[in-house]
Amino acid sequence: MGGEVKKNENVTIVCRCRDVTLDDVIRAIEEYEITDLETLKRKLGLGMGPCQGRTCIPIVIRILARKVKKSPNELMIPRIRAPIIPVQINLLLKSIDLKKQEKG
Amino acid sequence: MIKTHVLIIGGGISGLSIAYNLAERGVKDLVVVEKSYIGSGSTGRCATGIRASFTSEEHVVLMKHSIELWKKYVKGELGKNGLYYDQSGYVWIASKEETVDMFKKLVELHNSLGVPTKMMDLDELKEKVPPINTNGVLAAMYDPTAGKSYPFDTLFAFYKALRSRGIRIEVHTPAKKLLVRNNKVIGAETSKGTIEADVVVVAAGSMTRDLLKPLGINIPIDNVPRHVMVTEAYKPAFGPLVVDWDTPGAPYIIQTKEGNFYIGRDIEEEPELSLYSQRIDYMPTALKPLIRFFPWLENIRVLRYWIGYYVTTPDHHPIYGPIEGFDNLYIATGYSGHGYMMGPITGKVIAEWILDGKPSIPQAMRLTLERFKKGELIKELAVIG
Repeated sequence: MGGEVKKNENVTIVCRCRDVTLDDVIRAIEEYEITDLETLKRKLGLGMGPCQGRTCIPIVIRILARKVKKSPNELMIPRIRAPIIPVQINLLLKSIDLKKQEKG
Repeated sequence: MIKTHVLIIGGGISGLSIAYNLAERGVKDLVVVEKSYIGSGSTGRCATGIRASFTSEEHVVLMKHSIELWKKYVKGELGKNGLYYDQSGYVWIASKEETVDMFKKLVELHNSLGVPTKMMDLDELKEKVPPINTNGVLAAMYDPTAGKSYPFDTLFAFYKALRSRGIRIEVHTPAKKLLVRNNKVIGAETSKGTIEADVVVVAAGSMTRDLLKPLGINIPIDNVPRHVMVTEAYKPAFGPLVVDWDTPGAPYIIQTKEGNFYIGRDIEEEPELSLYSQRIDYMPTALKPLIRFFPWLENIRVLRYWIGYYVTTPDHHPIYGPIEGFDNLYIATGYSGHGYMMGPITGKVIAEWILDGKPSIPQAMRLTLERFKKGELIKELAVIG
């Protein structure tokens, strides 16, 4: 998703889940004429890692807002999807067993 | 007002692929409009699988051509732009004798149409999918031509190729209605004003139905919600998409290039339900049957889950081509869950319809809207996925 980060290179990481750099973000916005966060998210995988965008999205909103000359408030944030935080599958499986017990 | 030769409504895989095929054949004066962002409809919500192992001649032949195009695209400009095709196969697991028999018949059908699927015993299955528990499995069907790729890598590759030719792609520009004069479609009214065109292509998923309705044309499609979830990324475990055919709703699992697993299962859904009507019972329902094959799944974590529409026709095949009674109008929609994988061939046949009067693949001719009027629905040996 993000560009390759070389050792000791002076880079600013925007998304720690997927090693997306500030450079990657600027380049994607320019190269693909991106004006919305939904597109930027899908181009770079931002918000798709374990933190689900908690770190990168607020930063990227500001970068994109500056580039498209809008206020950050005008940019819609990408939709937030269940289960909000990563959940281990055995816990998800227990959730239906529990439900059956409640009914039973 | 904008004037163009060809107007394409819909910025998903179909619209962009049609635009690309037209551009490759010399049509440079074209505009694509997309109501939201590129791939925001069904394309971007799909589970990334691509296969030719279908159960009707039409699907098998068209998808065989589509896979040839995927592989051709990888080697050219689109490949340089990031489009890829990971030909890692599909594995269909049979736990019942009658399924084994059905798979054997399907293999015969596929082979007769040039798709080299084959039956696998448990040892061969273990070789293709090492971390699988084969208890209760009788055999499997394997499609070595099938594979996967990430929809947005594909879409952005098309986007870049089209923009480098100076082709206009207007995002966040919904088409509001088609403009008709004397049974000729002459353009569309959009949020950015009128766009006049000599040819209009509507490849807008279920919006195709809504845009053609005022013309008195009924497009028989329903938006059927389908759910899929994605896990965190892990080291590569196995290449093929694995389908558990004998569990209702055919649960499947596929690992992406980045290592995330996509997991899905069909559950009973009402057509037209909102894309945001998430169901708390969905995740365990889809996951439970797969634990039997992959007990280690219990320890991995689900990141998120979303819904996409299967834009579904009565015979689960797309609706392609011109619309009788209206000149200069073409549609491409109703893939019933297979629009992403069919993208390359959709672009080719619709471009041929526009430029040559008919597609080069005879099976595509059977997929026009007329088939519903004439009662010539496409027959399938068995409905899969």
